[in-house]
Amino acid sequence: MNWKKLSILGVLVMVFLVPPLIWDIGTSVLNLLIMLFIYIILAQSWNLMGGYTGQINLGLAAFFGCGTLVTHFIWKAGVPFYLAMAAGGVAAMLLAVVIGLPTLRLKGMYFGIGTFALAEVCRIVVGSTFHRMLKMPSSYVASYSLVSRYYVAFVVAVLAIVIVYLVTRSKLGLGMVAVRDDETAAQVTGVNTFKCKVLALFISALLAGLAGGVFAYLRLSFHYIFMMFSPVWTFEPLMAAIIGGAGTLMGPVIGSVFLVILSEIFALKLGEAHLIIFGFLFVLVVMYFPHGLVGSIGRIRQRMSGVGRRISRDR
Amino acid sequence: MEIVFQAMANGLLVGALYGLVALGFALLMGVMKFLNTAHGTFIILGGYLSYWLLELWGIDPFLSLPLVVVAMFLIGIVFYKLALSPLLKLPNIGMRINTSMLITFGSIWVLDNTMTLLWTPDVRSIMTSYTGQTLKLLGVRFSLTGLGGVGVAVLVALALYFILSGTYFGKHIRAATQDAVAASLCGINVQRTYLFSCGIAIALAGVAGMVVVSSYSISSTAGIGWLSSAFVVMVLAGEGNINAIIPAGMLLGLIESAGLLMVGVSYRQAIALIVFIIVLMIKPQGLFAKKEYGS
Repeated sequence: MNWKKLSILGVLVMVFLVPPLIWDIGTSVLNLLIMLFIYIILAQSWNLMGGYTGQINLGLAAFFGCGTLVTHFIWKAGVPFYLAMAAGGVAAMLLAVVIGLPTLRLKGMYFGIGTFALAEVCRIVVGSTFHRMLKMPSSYVASYSLVSRYYVAFVVAVLAIVIVYLVTRSKLGLGMVAVRDDETAAQVTGVNTFKCKVLALFISALLAGLAGGVFAYLRLSFHYIFMMFSPVWTFEPLMAAIIGGAGTLMGPVIGSVFLVILSEIFALKLGEAHLIIFGFLFVLVVMYFPHGLVGSIGRIRQRMSGVGRRISRDR
Repeated sequence: MEIVFQAMANGLLVGALYGLVALGFALLMGVMKFLNTAHGTFIILGGYLSYWLLELWGIDPFLSLPLVVVAMFLIGIVFYKLALSPLLKLPNIGMRINTSMLITFGSIWVLDNTMTLLWTPDVRSIMTSYTGQTLKLLGVRFSLTGLGGVGVAVLVALALYFILSGTYFGKHIRAATQDAVAASLCGINVQRTYLFSCGIAIALAGVAGMVVVSSYSISSTAGIGWLSSAFVVMVLAGEGNINAIIPAGMLLGLIESAGLLMVGVSYRQAIALIVFIIVLMIKPQGLFAKKEYGS
């Protein structure tokens, strides 16, 4: 972090922070930006587990939906929103304990299928528990303002990026990367791999739960609350993280921007069928550009300068 | 007391289906180390095939099974060529499992939404002359389609057991699993072995789809639910322990129906998840795993 980078960051933050205060930039743009921030939080959450620790989470929707559900009910009960959102994050962490402790002791595959099954079970159980439409009392609707949603989403997104930055530069982050690159070697060197994975999962679930909280703040009513547990909420953040570049700080951010632009182009014209295109794109990226946009650019740069060619070949 | 026996009978019928659903998945995972999260989607595709064979040409689902198997085998071969074979270049098994998980997870969206586009998201099921009829044995009613499903599951499992343990092709598969390089040095065409076993795995998904559509119903996005059952069965049986898949499925069916008597139908999937977690905590190598020497 030098002064140049800091000033670029400062300018970026100002660009997102100031305009909504000064003039009205339109509901659709604000909505789009809020969804972008939610995707950034979710993609960073997936990135921490999938990109840095190498544990593929196929059930991000479980944590997201749990955050949404808990925040919705606690906020409805009259608790201030910020506390309700924090409670949603903590609830997602508790849900992570259920699946994390048994599966993370084993090979990576079990975490993937465990989280997948967890999300599916949550979807069905929540669907059969809450039949009716969930909505907030009218006083909440009357005081609704999109700009405040925008700022909450923005702050949480920045928080997510900062958390990931701090974690990956800590000792824990080194341990996580060691687990990803070679778990056995990491264990032999003295890294407590189980602890690393569990802590990474907790932070990741917390972020996903907070994203759910932001979503509960944005939408006051849910026709079908179980749709929050739908696997689309796993797939799209996963796609954002992978396309941008898993295991990099800015990859998920760039991937989320890419994803939101793509869905603006395709989702309106094609409806559900846009997921066919997304699926194809995702498979192609996993096969041919496993390092995503950010990683590929870095590699091309290395190739051009000829430095570090041998190092980059391994990973 | 009668209701308990009836629940057990239903548990056995649905459990055999769980086993059948997990069979192809466990073959790909246990033998070739490809984790195919699109397995449930292929089951639905097989279900649609037998549904349309009945609707358009009036072929009974149990008779159209060979056609479905051949079609799904070809689809499996195409799927292997397009999506899975590039993964063999990856340096280690862990990366292969992780990448195949991601690639097949992406394929779910392609296949699911293509099926929705083609055949609408409606829930479909097959009505034949014997649908809903039951057979009374020892005071317990068995549905005919369910019994047919059990018969198909047992036959298919036996056939797979015979192929894997009794033929040269099965030997090739097992050799390629243990050490692909050594196997190819011994003159085994590893690529072709993998190709055929992937075809077999997807054909098994087609068989499961036929049974699902004949005794239950299918919709274009229902594959994910069947997939999580397949996960639980595979964990119960133990990774790579294909012979135990059908018994493990029946065990899961029995546990579920015992649980259903206590808590009600809507929590059936939660019972499966609890079984999954308990097995992973107590005996992660699977309940049916054989004792290994030295451990």
